[in-house]
Amino acid sequence: MVTLVLDVVTTAAILFIVSAGLLIVFGVMKIINFAHAAFITVGAYAALVASRLGLPSVLAPALAFVIGGLIGAAAERVVVQWLYSRPLDAILATWGLSIVIGQLVTLAFGRGVQFVPAPISGTESILGEEYSMYRLLMVAAATVIAILFTCVLNGTRLGLSTRAVIMNETLAQSLGIDSSRVRLVTFGLGCGLAAIAGALITPLASVDPNMGLAWLISAFMLVMISGGSLLTLGLSSLVLGGLQVVVSTFVSPILGGLTIAVVAAVALRLRPEGFARA
Amino acid sequence: MALTRSLLKILAATACSTILITPLMAADPIKIGVPVGLSGANSVVAPSVVQSAQLAVDEINAKGGVLGRQLSLEVADDASGAAGAQKAFDSLVFQKKVDVLISMETSAARNAGLPIVARGKVPYIYTSFYEGKSCSPFMYVNAWVPEQQVPPIVDYFTKEKGAKKFFLIGSDYAFGRGMLAFTKAYIAKTGGKVVGEEYLPMDGSDWTPIISKLKSAAPDALITSTAGGAPNVTLTKQLRAAGVTLPYGNLAVDEGTAKSMGSDAKDIYLSASYVTGIDSAANKTFLAAMKKKFGGDLKTPNDLSVPEYEAIYAYKAAVEKAGSTNSSKVLKVLGEVSVEGPRGKIQMSKQHHAPLTMYLGQVQADGSVKVIKSFPNTDPGAQCPNLKS
Amino acid sequence: MRDLDANLPSVASRWLRGAPQWLLRVRWTTPAAIALVLAGPWLLDTYTLNILIRALFVAIVALTVDVLWGFSGTLTFGQSAFFGIGAYGLAIVFTQFGFGPWQVLLALGAAVGVAAAVAGFVGWLSFYPGSTPLYVSVISLVLPIVVVQLLYSGGAFTGSSSGLVGFETFDLSLEGWFLVAGFAMIAVLATTSIMVSSDAGRMLSAMRDNDERCTYLGINTSLIRIWLLVATGVAAALAGFGYVAFSGVAAPENAGFIFGTQLVIMVALGGRGSLAGAVVGAIVIEVASAYLSSSLPFIWELIVGVTFVVVIVVLPGGLFGIFRTFGSWLRGKHPRASGRDAAGIAIETRQEAVAIPDPDAVVVEVENVSKHFGSLSVLSDVSFTARRGELVSIVGPNGAGKTTLIRCLADGRERSEGQVRIGGRSIERLPPDQVVRLGLGRKFQAASVFETLRVADCLRIARSRRDKPSFLDVSSVLRLPPAARAVAESSGLAARLDEEARFLSHGLKQALELAMVLALEPQVLLLDEPTAGLTRVERQAFASVLRELVVRERLCVLIIEHDLDFVRQISSRILLLHQGQVALDGPVADVVNNPLIREIYTGNHQSKRAKDAPP
Repeated sequence: MVTLVLDVVTTAAILFIVSAGLLIVFGVMKIINFAHAAFITVGAYAALVASRLGLPSVLAPALAFVIGGLIGAAAERVVVQWLYSRPLDAILATWGLSIVIGQLVTLAFGRGVQFVPAPISGTESILGEEYSMYRLLMVAAATVIAILFTCVLNGTRLGLSTRAVIMNETLAQSLGIDSSRVRLVTFGLGCGLAAIAGALITPLASVDPNMGLAWLISAFMLVMISGGSLLTLGLSSLVLGGLQVVVSTFVSPILGGLTIAVVAAVALRLRPEGFARA
Repeated sequence: MALTRSLLKILAATACSTILITPLMAADPIKIGVPVGLSGANSVVAPSVVQSAQLAVDEINAKGGVLGRQLSLEVADDASGAAGAQKAFDSLVFQKKVDVLISMETSAARNAGLPIVARGKVPYIYTSFYEGKSCSPFMYVNAWVPEQQVPPIVDYFTKEKGAKKFFLIGSDYAFGRGMLAFTKAYIAKTGGKVVGEEYLPMDGSDWTPIISKLKSAAPDALITSTAGGAPNVTLTKQLRAAGVTLPYGNLAVDEGTAKSMGSDAKDIYLSASYVTGIDSAANKTFLAAMKKKFGGDLKTPNDLSVPEYEAIYAYKAAVEKAGSTNSSKVLKVLGEVSVEGPRGKIQMSKQHHAPLTMYLGQVQADGSVKVIKSFPNTDPGAQCPNLKS
Repeated sequence: MRDLDANLPSVASRWLRGAPQWLLRVRWTTPAAIALVLAGPWLLDTYTLNILIRALFVAIVALTVDVLWGFSGTLTFGQSAFFGIGAYGLAIVFTQFGFGPWQVLLALGAAVGVAAAVAGFVGWLSFYPGSTPLYVSVISLVLPIVVVQLLYSGGAFTGSSSGLVGFETFDLSLEGWFLVAGFAMIAVLATTSIMVSSDAGRMLSAMRDNDERCTYLGINTSLIRIWLLVATGVAAALAGFGYVAFSGVAAPENAGFIFGTQLVIMVALGGRGSLAGAVVGAIVIEVASAYLSSSLPFIWELIVGVTFVVVIVVLPGGLFGIFRTFGSWLRGKHPRASGRDAAGIAIETRQEAVAIPDPDAVVVEVENVSKHFGSLSVLSDVSFTARRGELVSIVGPNGAGKTTLIRCLADGRERSEGQVRIGGRSIERLPPDQVVRLGLGRKFQAASVFETLRVADCLRIARSRRDKPSFLDVSSVLRLPPAARAVAESSGLAARLDEEARFLSHGLKQALELAMVLALEPQVLLLDEPTAGLTRVERQAFASVLRELVVRERLCVLIIEHDLDFVRQISSRILLLHQGQVALDGPVADVVNNPLIREIYTGNHQSKRAKDAPP
């Protein structure tokens, strides 16, 4: 029972970390970044580079954030910024982008599975159950990311401009907010966050050019269903992630893998506006 | 209008390319087709397979080839799956018109390729270990099947580690399920008990609930059979993160993958027909030759790549014995010739499969595999009772 | 009425007069393609034939993607799932029961039946009033993932990851298969081409251009989209059936999400919205990847990826988009809607006069309607009625709730509380297309037409609920009710029937939208600031049109208007909204001379709520 609860909480934390970047982009730009998976991959390879350079493992997510953010910002300028009025084309262009990034990663690092040593290993005893330290750390990481982003959104000029653009872009523009800059920064942040996620999950996942894809659908569905708010994203990660763990544990892990996608699809049909205002 | 014009263009282009390819020279080389998963699940191991094929061909050509003809390789990507394999086999059999197919592939790719092999009537040597019982008059196999691989691990866990309760984890696909089905039956036969059997989809990456079940079932030993590459790595990492220290037998790991898992792979037990540490002259010569040819680009030779090397020599021997590359003549003698290679003496004499020396190994902290025990001349059992010889 | 013969497109059609009109729209490309298919086996080697046979079946699925995405605007990654259903339908039946006549029928039935059922369910999940294109795309992404997972976990029944292989299938030569695949592709291409260019087929582009406008023309777009998904799903399943019947292998990749995205890439490169483009895109990519992917596996994907991004960003029309632009540049005029003849179109008046039972009937009844957004109340307790032959202007300052009121009248799901009856029948919680059927027409504030459709097609779509359009023919006659015809003629639209709507001036677009709404023959007409951006002359013309509608047609018109002079000129009654409540309701003179209106507009008026609030 303790294990089940811990599984649920840590799974939710990981799902939250993996989806947060997508949520930021979706919230501000109302487009879905299909290259999200590619940026998760980029982050993981950044962690690989960091460990090869002998950097302390705390710096790996930071390096990932910088690299992912810069590539993301470049992609926004070159590709995405032309497509805000064509959200479906933005899906396709970012999918194309992910093919390109995936192939470039492959050319640079090869197709093979790479090894990144885990910063911490071992288990921690919680209520008599031995549990993976690293998974517990993920809960802390998710909390830090959530707090940081809430602070950025609520406490800085950039956050203010971003919220203005989210609420009413035309009005924001007429108030002198440079919405194109807001979008550039947001897309960069979103991609940077995806890269952080990639760096954080390396001790639990394999590092290979397609690693991000496994997370993509869950992240999409969680973001769609949370309707653009960080708080509801946390909630839906907990509910749907919990459901996934429960189905995997008591029914079958194969069905468990489909739980998030199917439940979210049906839930969205019954409640199209998502659960942001729930 | 534009449709027809473009169609014409394509047709013209394809027609030209085929005309350019068809002219044959007098002493044209013997073509060996290598359909292999350059992309997809097998992409991790495919380069090493291609390398050993290249070495074999180079060595043979340097010594005058086969029946005075040179060998040439035609590599095609099968994308590690059925759909890609069809295209690759079509291309090799009907476009490149190869004399033989020799390759390591996924079961999906092999199954998809077999009808094309039958249509083209080309000999096919399958060099990948697999879940067994795939039979075709055109196909020979020189790698292990469950009957050869599983008993060493299970016996060792039962006898040396006193294991009675086993937990099985696999990827939900033909190889994963096939291997574990055999393992389960074998454990039952030897008096052990399977306390859990769990599968995750092939592309699944979150093993958490399964690991929790594993811990609560409290078995004495764990045996896994996942898809190669990513699933194997994620499972091992997550097992280690969860502090699982049971005797852990991995049916799908090769030396290269073990190395890529770094310290997480330590203490994994594996059972293979080839490990780099085999102490034989043939193996040492082979490793030295590989190192010389590929230098820094060398992909560690492994249980999937070495059979490729040996199979090319087996084909050479068969062609020489048959006196021609004629398909039916070669097929007739493929089971009769034997090759002395890095894995020892190998003859595909048992219903198109080969008795092998199996090695039980344990991964060391540096990623190398220490051989604990060897099992010479392990029989593949009755794989294809309907095939003669 | 012009002589119909003068409108027939070509000389050729004259001696083919006996043939059905739709057959004439099959251009010479089809016979040419047939000739190519017949010649293929003699020209091509075994390997190329092999690749082309597969490519032709793939081209059929690509066509279905193009119909869904290029024509109806639904970006789908899920057609691969239907392809897989067809593929596995055959493979499973032949594996379980062997090969034979009844097995073939069973397999076909299974492929078609399962595909249709799945498409129906996915359609229900995807299309409902208010679903977003983004949501639909994401659902289409989930479908192949679920299907593949089911195939993986199907054990020996589905062959799991290895797929199914080794079953006996049709014994046809390679040449025979090439003919089958070629003719199947041409048949699908020709049928699709006739259907999408028919009057009914224009509906797809109309939904893509402006789904909301369709809904407010009384068209149940969700239902059409569901049926379209079923039809394309079945077609894709049949393509999968053929593919596996030929190749003898059903693999999970055939149903997968990656194949689904590849189909989209094929269509994008070939040219979305161009059927020939989709076919050429599919064949070129299939053939090129067969030749290139094994020699340069990494680079090939990189090239595809880069090309794809460039095409999406810079050339959304793809290869055939360039051809089309280039072609129309050569002709030196505006590109017309694809595949249509330049034939003139005659307007015909719908003659049957509808007897209006009671020319003064109350047709709008609003009782205690309120609308809240959370704690914010936009409308509270609004009640009024309106009769035929009345023109009621709804006025009030910005934020008074005027547009919200119109929305609550036209869409049953909008209001929070209260009752609305149109023509004596409650609108309950009905979506707009059903409210429209009660006799309501709504014109939007910004001109809302079908940008890429010709004027005639826009009007025909507007009539489609009453005059069912043909799935085969392109009619050269446009039947309009007198009111719509009068607007079309007085505005000058009648002379520009075969121009695409996007090339019209702002004023003409407004007139077109009005004519479209009038084509519905509504009893109640809702107009939201119809004169915004019109010139003075246009405004006067519009005023007289309105008067005609009210006086002669006995329409009940509700109009939101800012210009009080204009309001005074046209209205029979004025309804003043202030802070979500009806402040005044009465004849023009009473309201205009009431001091309250000046107070409200100058901002001096303290609302009742403000006064009631504690200090």
